[in-house]
Amino acid sequence: MAERPEDLNLPNAVITRIIKEAVGSPGWRVGAGRTSRQRGSGSGVRVPGPGPQRYSPALFSQLPDGVNISKEARSAISRAASVFVLYATSCANNFAMKGKRKTLNASDVLSAMEEMEFQRFVTPLKEALEAYRREQKGKKEASEQKKKDKDKKTDAEEQDKGRDEDNDEDEERLEEEEQNEEEEVDN
Amino acid sequence: MAAAAGSGTPREEEGPSGEAAAPQPQAPTSAPGARLSRLPLARVKALVKADPDVTLAGQEAIFILARAAELFVETIAKDAYCCAQQGKRKTLQRRDLDNAIEAVDEFAFLEGTLD
Repeated sequence: MAERPEDLNLPNAVITRIIKEAVGSPGWRVGAGRTSRQRGSGSGVRVPGPGPQRYSPALFSQLPDGVNISKEARSAISRAASVFVLYATSCANNFAMKGKRKTLNASDVLSAMEEMEFQRFVTPLKEALEAYRREQKGKKEASEQKKKDKDKKTDAEEQDKGRDEDNDEDEERLEEEEQNEEEEVDN
Repeated sequence: MAAAAGSGTPREEEGPSGEAAAPQPQAPTSAPGARLSRLPLARVKALVKADPDVTLAGQEAIFILARAAELFVETIAKDAYCCAQQGKRKTLQRRDLDNAIEAVDEFAFLEGTLD
């Protein structure tokens, strides 16, 4: 089944959320605050449909009031985002090829943004990249730390086992000595 | 006489930390508000792979593309919304998007692709 690249849509719910948060809403109410296409009692159930998964418009009710998006507009924006990714990939790939590399890397994408005249994205993207690298590093360290602790614990448990046995012997001796003393006193 | 053994003596422990009960390491934290990317990376990766000229893409590249796509959606939505507001509407419609694409140079690459 040949899929056109544009058919690889991004999830509608996420697109909607991004749009709504971007446009913002200082809290005005719009009519009923709901789209007129609402079906059922807002169960937020996934509605089966052809092609990419579709979400019931009732999901909109979780989002800030004040902004609505028609289905056509949302799906057009979603497609636009896919086209954007494809275009950016192609530009980035050119930079990678220029650098005689076969793998796209982050700087290729950043160069592509400038090429596409989206320079204003470059700074926020660099910040996001820093945060992403820190997170990856953190995850790696956390899992290494976990492993170290696990090993340490296993070693410590083995040591304790030995120590406990020694303790028992000492205490028995102590008790014997006390008994002896008492006997002497009685006698 | 039989003496009561010192059974009352409490057993001495080495101390509560005898078992190297180190404080549990925190699970890898992803602070709730600091999600770095909302779009699923797998879908973005699928889009990237759809390009026949692309051999491989690094994880960082996929991440930045996802983030860039989000920024793009925010940007175009805001621009389109301005048109809606001018028309005194609070619902974004397709024509608002078309207007934004025509008006903004950076969106020129979208012309003809959304139909």
